[in-house]
Amino acid sequence: MTDESVKKPQSTSDKLPGVVSVFTLGLGAIAVYTWREGMRKKTMIGFLVLSLLVIFGAWFLTAFLQTGGAQVDTELDTKLVKDICVTAISIFGVLITIFISASVVPGEVENRIIYTVLSKPVRRFQYLMGKFLGVQLIIIINLALMGGLFFVNLYIQEGILPTLLLWTIFLTYFEFLIVSAFTFAIGCAASSAVLPVIGGLFIYITGNLTEYLGDVARRAGQTEAFLDVAIGWLATGLYNVLPNLQNFSLRNQLLYLQPNDPPADAMIPQMVVYGLLYAAAGYVIGYIIFRRKEL
Amino acid sequence: MTQETLNEEPAAETQPLGEARTPDPDGRIPVIETYGLTKTYETKTEDVHALRDLNLTVYQGEIFGYLGPNGSGKTTTIKLLLGLIFPTDGSMAIMDSESIGSIHVRRNIGYLPEGAYYPDFLKGEEVLRFYGKLYGLRGRALERRIDEVLEMVGMTGARRRLVGGYSKGMRQRIGLAQAMISDPQILILDEPTTGLDPIARKEIRDVLVKLRDEGKTLLISSHELLEVEMICDRVGILHNGMLQTIGALDDLLVQRDITLEVEVPSESAVHELSRFGIISEDMVDGKALLRVPANVSLYEAIEQCQHNNVSLLSVRPRRETLEELFVRVVGAAEENKEINQV
Ligand SMILES: Nc1ncnc2c1ncn2[C@@H]1O[C@H](COP(=O)(O)OP(=O)(O)OP(=O)(O)O)[C@@H](O)[C@H]1O
Ligand SMILES: [Mg+2]
Repeated sequence: MTDESVKKPQSTSDKLPGVVSVFTLGLGAIAVYTWREGMRKKTMIGFLVLSLLVIFGAWFLTAFLQTGGAQVDTELDTKLVKDICVTAISIFGVLITIFISASVVPGEVENRIIYTVLSKPVRRFQYLMGKFLGVQLIIIINLALMGGLFFVNLYIQEGILPTLLLWTIFLTYFEFLIVSAFTFAIGCAASSAVLPVIGGLFIYITGNLTEYLGDVARRAGQTEAFLDVAIGWLATGLYNVLPNLQNFSLRNQLLYLQPNDPPADAMIPQMVVYGLLYAAAGYVIGYIIFRRKEL
Repeated sequence: MTQETLNEEPAAETQPLGEARTPDPDGRIPVIETYGLTKTYETKTEDVHALRDLNLTVYQGEIFGYLGPNGSGKTTTIKLLLGLIFPTDGSMAIMDSESIGSIHVRRNIGYLPEGAYYPDFLKGEEVLRFYGKLYGLRGRALERRIDEVLEMVGMTGARRRLVGGYSKGMRQRIGLAQAMISDPQILILDEPTTGLDPIARKEIRDVLVKLRDEGKTLLISSHELLEVEMICDRVGILHNGMLQTIGALDDLLVQRDITLEVEVPSESAVHELSRFGIISEDMVDGKALLRVPANVSLYEAIEQCQHNNVSLLSVRPRRETLEELFVRVVGAAEENKEINQV
């Protein structure tokens, strides 16, 4: 068998794969490598461990309260636990999302690995796509770990499969996807991770406050004073441009509905499309910046 | 013609070499060309003119030594050729293709960056597997190629160790291996032998010469003039972003001085000779190597030797070393620059 391979080392399937498969081969290699590298970043591991501790700790807490004999309202207990866990997942999840999305491209420019990668037959589009997919892999794995622990926790407590939690986690991913795409885009322009981290936090925070921005936009501009008008414009601009991340939150439903209720009046397919569109916009901005970037 | 046939066999590994390329009058085929290439970095404080009007040609099947003092623009040229940065003015062609960034061109290029760094959480062989995939290699062909290049750079023993634990020279070797992973037609190496031990240098030189003999084209930037002199066919010397001289080593290194091998009775005799401009280069056990510069006549030198009881053992023409050429060319360029500034 070795004989054969020595005689015909250039069998076409082996050596000259089609254009599409060369593209996906490179893309896959970059994505997997990004994922492997990201999963060993200390900040990421730190946030993940913290969030798992919090989720685990909340469980422990209720177990303690229940056996403590104090006649506390168990209804209230589970609500508290759910609240803590959902908050932990959002906060730590978004921190992981922002830190990883912010550092993949600037980090590689800094350590100059990017020279060896982009000098290969790799398109810049393909490189960015690989990096972005690798980041998504990291975010999804983290969400799955945190959500998984929470899921088990709830199931043991309530004895019913908390399917509503799955929907919550599912929508949370699309919220993270938007934050990730824009942070990533800022990272394409920056030379270190500092600016994109700040930008990512800004998008996450303001994206969760768009309702208020709308309020400000409606109320401002009544006095015709310059500052008032300017704030009105700014608020209107941000309100129209920024994604409304609140829409992705099923937190209240999770707190007040039954764990296996279907999500009420949340337009899941619409939210998915909304998330994908915003993420695509962020990615395209990143690509436009990166396309002619001097390395 | 012969060079073109040389090409056919290994080309299957990558892509066949471009379109029909026209040999120049000497029958040489240009592989890398730049026309009026200019690069100005715009920094916050000033504009850095890293390259000015560079016209460079590297031919197929040669090792081209790209020389110049620190900051003269070597790395800048190389990055431009790879599409990592973009020219301020001028253009380039690689294998007759002017679209430098196109992946068809880059499929034929292997590149070793200056002071490169590799993913340190991967093992040596995993790094090569990663880069091989970027060329579209896979499966058994890729594994075989990884074995080959590891052998070429002498890293077979350390292939399963993490790159993070590699020494400087080992990192450089793995860098060379990744540059060669696709068996490219063109190798662009930015200071390939820095950090290597003497044995490794020799081995790498042998590898580079072997690749040249296979018909590959190599562009090597380096400060190791002795090595360049040993393996390069042509060199170009850059200074302050301008090409000062370019050509075949045999044409550039003038053979005007003469070396005399002599037996000297005493040190004072050598001292006496130096008054006539004859330079002592080396002296051991009463034997000396004397250099007779072009401006001293050989007859007079021999006469003076006899006069001082110095007996002649041999007389031979002496070729200028690359180092001397470098110092001469860069020195002249420095002077010109100063004159222009005054
Ligand atoms: N990104 C950059 N921004 C601003 N100036 C730069 C940049 N890169 C290089 N330069 C400047 O361009 C000039 C040429 O640099 P280059 O790295 O090409 O030199 P080199 O010949 O490779 O030097 P060395 O032998 O030290 O490697 C230098 O003056 C350098 O300071
Ligand atoms: Mg350099």
